[in-house]
Amino acid sequence: MTRLALEEVTFWYPATRAPALREVSLEVAAGEIVALVGKVGAGASTLLLVAADLAPRVTGGRLAGAVRRRARSGIVLPTPWTQLSGMAFTVWDEVAFGPANLGWPGHEIARHVDHALERLEIVSLAARDPITLSGGELQRVIVAGLLAMDPDLVLLDEPTAELDPAGARSMWRLLRLLAGEGKAIVVATSELDAVPDVADRVVWLEAGAVRAIGTPQLLAEDAACDDGLGTTVARIWRAAGLAPPYPLTVADAVQRWP
Amino acid sequence: MRALHPFTLLAVAAALPALAWILPAPAGGLATAGIAFCLLGSRGLRRGLWPALVAAAPFWLFLLLLHDVRTTLAIGLRISTMVASFVWLAAVLAPDRLVEATVARGWSITAAYLFAATLSAVPMLRARARRIVEAQRCRGLSPRGSVANRLRALRALALPLVLSALHEVDERTLALEARGLVPGARRTPLAPPPDRVVERVVRWGLLLLCLAALVRRVA
Repeated sequence: MTRLALEEVTFWYPATRAPALREVSLEVAAGEIVALVGKVGAGASTLLLVAADLAPRVTGGRLAGAVRRRARSGIVLPTPWTQLSGMAFTVWDEVAFGPANLGWPGHEIARHVDHALERLEIVSLAARDPITLSGGELQRVIVAGLLAMDPDLVLLDEPTAELDPAGARSMWRLLRLLAGEGKAIVVATSELDAVPDVADRVVWLEAGAVRAIGTPQLLAEDAACDDGLGTTVARIWRAAGLAPPYPLTVADAVQRWP
Repeated sequence: MRALHPFTLLAVAAALPALAWILPAPAGGLATAGIAFCLLGSRGLRRGLWPALVAAAPFWLFLLLLHDVRTTLAIGLRISTMVASFVWLAAVLAPDRLVEATVARGWSITAAYLFAATLSAVPMLRARARRIVEAQRCRGLSPRGSVANRLRALRALALPLVLSALHEVDERTLALEARGLVPGARRTPLAPPPDRVVERVVRWGLLLLCLAALVRRVA
């Protein structure tokens, strides 16, 4: 079941001539994880804003093409400290901010907030003031705030940017769990080594346009490696002069080792 | 005191200065200033009385320079009541309880947000300013020493602080929208503070007292 469909979407930010997205077409199904990869400025963040119905509705600008959403969406932006509500003085209240705005009954809010705190492993932070948290803790709080709203379409922009390696691994595991529950997930990430284990499909964006869509194996192709978008293992394999197809992960490499 | 309903705290903090200006001077001002400083006294010398005394002192100085003793006393006591009431309110009013109270009372979410964001902006800006100062120190800027040094440090702090705050507005708008803070949203109060009958009576009583004093003063 398709949760999000973009058809030939072109988007211009206000007062700009060049579009930030150019004729992007993409469908995301329930239970699917789609990773957006590309260089900085490729359009991944803009695509997420369009998918979340924030561009052009809130950002301004102009959109051509069609966007169809068949689910309530939630988005996490790249910098956690700018996403604090400013209305909450404990982590629990911060996570409850979204559900409370949806007008849910109190017991429903409490259930979703407690579950989100458990999922992000931040129950111990519940009584802390959000402005006293570290970047990594804050990032988890913001993601918990998104999950507490129980969206069917989850949009994440660099969700592991502030996390340590263990925290990042937990986040990727959580995304797989969410997909298993039927949520559609679109994640923009520069952590390419995680993509093969997490994403079902990869969308390679370049200058606002889709350059390629495919399985994570895309990140082991010569073109992606040339553009700095290959996984570490694929790039090392290639640099060593070993024969393609390049392995994506260490496990692949061990299997293919001659 | 912090357990009182936020509207009661607001009512007391508003009624004292109002009465200070309505009641005849200097007795009215003396009474209201006395009450305000007594309330402040419950917060202790350092967190309560001292900030109010420091804030009120310059007003007394200027009044003494400009007026005779009688006028100075009349206006000074009124201003001291205002200052003491505000400092007391800032010390006892928890922003989160105020937000919950306004939401529970059916105020629009945007009005509640305006209140809370204003109250929480100061600690957030302070935290960011501290980070900027640390970053500038790492790059060799010293906020100590001569006046010129301090001015240079102030500029190096103010510019990034203002620019980052402006940049933050864009992202925060998107984030708040995504989290359901839209005009007309019916927010669920998370933990509304209890509003006892006696407190409601006190609030109405304070309003009536101010009105009665005003009527008597005008008559």
